[in-house]
Amino acid sequence: MSTTTFNPATSVQLEQQKSMRPWRKKPTKFTMAVTLAVVIPALIVAALYLTSDIPVPILLVVIYLPLQLIASGIAAWATKGTRGVADSVIIVNAIGASLFTVIVLVSVIGSLIVRGFRALSPHFLFQNSVYISPSTPLDYGGIGHSLVGTLLIVFIASLISVPIGIATAVYITEVRGRAVPYVRFFVQAMSGVPSVVAGLFILTIVVATGVFNQSAFAGGLAYAILMLPTVARTAEEVLKLVPDDLRTGALALGSTRARTVLRVVIPAARTGIITAVILGVARVIGETAPLLLAAGNNDQTVVNPFGSPISSVPTYIFNNVALPYPDAVSRAWGAALVLIILVAILFTLARVIGRGRVGR
Amino acid sequence: MSTAEFEDVMDLDIQGVEASTVHPAGPTEMESRDLSVWFGQRKVLEGVNIAFPKNTVTALIGPSGCGKSTFIRTLNRLHELIPGAALAGSVLYEGKDIYDAAVDPVHIRLQIGMVFQKPNPFPSMTIRGNVLSGLKLSGMKRDNHDEIVEETLTAAGLWNEVKDRLGNAAGDLSGGQQQRLVIARALAVQPHVLLMDEPCSALDPASTLKIEETIRGLAKEVTIIIVTHNMQQAVRVSDYTAFFLAEEGTPGHVVEQGATTEIFGNPQEQRTLDYVNGRFG
Repeated sequence: MSTTTFNPATSVQLEQQKSMRPWRKKPTKFTMAVTLAVVIPALIVAALYLTSDIPVPILLVVIYLPLQLIASGIAAWATKGTRGVADSVIIVNAIGASLFTVIVLVSVIGSLIVRGFRALSPHFLFQNSVYISPSTPLDYGGIGHSLVGTLLIVFIASLISVPIGIATAVYITEVRGRAVPYVRFFVQAMSGVPSVVAGLFILTIVVATGVFNQSAFAGGLAYAILMLPTVARTAEEVLKLVPDDLRTGALALGSTRARTVLRVVIPAARTGIITAVILGVARVIGETAPLLLAAGNNDQTVVNPFGSPISSVPTYIFNNVALPYPDAVSRAWGAALVLIILVAILFTLARVIGRGRVGR
Repeated sequence: MSTAEFEDVMDLDIQGVEASTVHPAGPTEMESRDLSVWFGQRKVLEGVNIAFPKNTVTALIGPSGCGKSTFIRTLNRLHELIPGAALAGSVLYEGKDIYDAAVDPVHIRLQIGMVFQKPNPFPSMTIRGNVLSGLKLSGMKRDNHDEIVEETLTAAGLWNEVKDRLGNAAGDLSGGQQQRLVIARALAVQPHVLLMDEPCSALDPASTLKIEETIRGLAKEVTIIIVTHNMQQAVRVSDYTAFFLAEEGTPGHVVEQGATTEIFGNPQEQRTLDYVNGRFG
């Protein structure tokens, strides 16, 4: 994939190219109809907003969307006849639906920034919560210990679930053994396991029996249960996309099936497999319940994955957000903001690693 | 292909590739005996008996759907990878049945290489990596890697075009170059037999000609079996020809086989005459 950065020098060329795109030319009648269809509903809704007390969401969904549909329908009918109407309905709905998605996303991130930004500072990222009480001002304390915990737990979970997940996908798509339908069924069923159940499972099997304490390792085990089906199913899908030509090509060269999978099929699906890992991490990184049960909580920074209970960002948020102290609540929102940024950084990193091209 | 291009090829043919002469029939390298093939309940080939003399080129011709490609895939045991595939009869390689229980298909495929209709270079490897991939995948030990790369790419008629960018991704090559790359890849493991399933169907006339020259050159050391829909190509490259046909509702079978000059110049069967003259198929 080539990445072209925007270069001001090329904008001149773009201007010149515009005149070379005859399909962009539209008759005046069309331009007028489209302009009217956009402007009139917007004006009506703006007038209603200024003069009445109708709440904005209702105004948008109940009044603006139907109005826009009608206006676009009429405009399409006027310019293209009846066959244009269906087109306009689909286009307006598609634009509306995608706008809705963007608005939801932006408002989530927006509210995180509004409420959490106050808590952000260098020491918020690096300090831990020792000696910090809920009423301590924001000048002290941070989520360093929770960040370390989350990274450690996710790392352990990936270490366990990624190899098993890829091996499962290889069994389903490459080995094609007799158990494939059953394996696929169980993987599917596993993706329906509620996260709290995964936590309880590890709590009873590993922690309560005394094999391990509440710890990063126990938390990682609980996360791995949740990650595994996502990794396995996504990896299965991307391995299926590798053309059979490559498999027969490798076999025709005298390759064994194992070498075919390891040296040809998996490398060909590398980007997709990285996506599978990303989706797995995204699936678990915000899960709170399994860590409350399996990893516990701690105010100190812990790096030993086996020794003692460990904090994590989701449990930190959980413990702080409902407290009756404004500064504690701010810390929780700040931690949520950091978590989202952390996810963004991890994803970008994975994409950059995955983009690596063959050859020089 | 335009008429002009076509005449070009025919012209080049006369100048470039020597008219094929029938090699004296030496010892038989491969042989199919009473071979029948099924996909599930459907019988697609019946009673195929063909002998492939060592170091010759045999062309398999016939209309689409007559089982040529299926047949060629039984010769290196790729056929069995298709679910529901079945087979009766035997395929002898150097006198031994390759479907014998004691035979490892990996070992067979190492000696009987294959080039497919669609170029299938490995996208995760460089040009050089693709040429050498057969050695790595089969665990074969050969030292002089640089020599192998140059030798096989030259044989495939690609060396001059890629010698300065052996480290580039194989996917950056054009379709014709990719096809010549996979031919080089197949040659690097030094197979005794090379199966080619319409290797030129996706290529332009110039690349086609290069590959035909390659085939003629290779025939000194390798036994080549090539499926082709191009009558002129069969005449240009092959010593022997087998004509396959699947008449309505019946499985494919060999109608006529023999020296290429005979099949095209003096066929014994009316159906062969009609087919090689383009009257059907």
